[in-house]
Amino acid sequence: MSLAADILTVVLLLAGSLFFVAGTVGLLRFPDLYTRIHALTKADNVGLGLVVFGLLPQAASLAIALKLVLVWLLILLASSTMGHLLARAALRNGIRPWTRP
Amino acid sequence: MSVPSRSRAGNRRRVSSVRLLFRAAAFGVLWALLSGGRAWAIGIPAVLLATAAVPLAAPANRWSPAGAARFVPYFLWNSLRGAIDVAVRALKRGLPIDPAVVRYETRLDSPAARVLMANTVTLLPGTLSAELDGKVLRVHVLNAAGPVADMLNTLEERVAGFFPQAEPPERR
Amino acid sequence: MTVFLLLVVAILLVSLGGGMIQALRGPTRGDRMLVVQLLGTGAVAVLVLLAEAGHDPALVDIALVLALLAAITMVAFVRCAWPLEDADEPGS
Repeated sequence: MSLAADILTVVLLLAGSLFFVAGTVGLLRFPDLYTRIHALTKADNVGLGLVVFGLLPQAASLAIALKLVLVWLLILLASSTMGHLLARAALRNGIRPWTRP
Repeated sequence: MSVPSRSRAGNRRRVSSVRLLFRAAAFGVLWALLSGGRAWAIGIPAVLLATAAVPLAAPANRWSPAGAARFVPYFLWNSLRGAIDVAVRALKRGLPIDPAVVRYETRLDSPAARVLMANTVTLLPGTLSAELDGKVLRVHVLNAAGPVADMLNTLEERVAGFFPQAEPPERR
Repeated sequence: MTVFLLLVVAILLVSLGGGMIQALRGPTRGDRMLVVQLLGTGAVAVLVLLAEAGHDPALVDIALVLALLAAITMVAFVRCAWPLEDADEPGS
């Protein structure tokens, strides 16, 4: 395992976990459901992406590396769809978006 | 780059054997990844069934490999920008957000292109697709003062490049 | 490297635990469901990290299944569970 690969892994994983933390902070601080969806969907997708790409240099085989990328693509598709579905259901349930007073 | 217009009647719902082979190969690779290259007794029938089922799920959507190749880096870069933008807003004191819901009428005419646009909007900086009803997209924006219309216009052009069968949009 | 991977797992778990506060606060069912989305993505990240830390590639398969289930859960939720809340409300 080369040093450069390890440094890349450390940097990407730390950046990824930072996005997860920011996503949670946004979830707790933002004022309504819509803004919370923004925080979670965008930050966590990129967080997972950075974690996956950080693990690629450590992957034991090409097959495992490709499977990791597949997991990320699936989450990318799933969570953007989930964010849309949740926002749509909220609008249809008559939940008013928060606006700055 | 402009998309050359081709006769619409000529290629309606005709799936070339090249595309069929490409789909089967893509499903084959997917199976190889998921199964670790084993269990082809189940894999081959599954790949054939999946290939046959594609027209049921997504009828006649032509996509352009070149358009897709241009779409991916655009998407990755803006998705990263979106995450940084929302992370900064979440962490800053005073919570610098000013949300609003805007209506955007898209000129994309294939459903697949519209769905791709709606899904991508959610990951771009400061926008969240909240409703897709025919041509009308309702977008929740995190910061009403941001360049939302510009961003949606650019995204629409990129999506039109991905699915060139859709009307090439002229910029507003 | 293993220790570092576990450290990242710990950061993620703290962040997921923080999200649980929102599940308690709500206020709508949608807010609580959003935490399920957080747990889905977060658990997938934790699983791929543990797969590498413990040299156990089977955990990546669990991550894949979890990613699929999270999406299906959300579809089921918006189609079946949420509109009931306002079922007795007039109009809309």
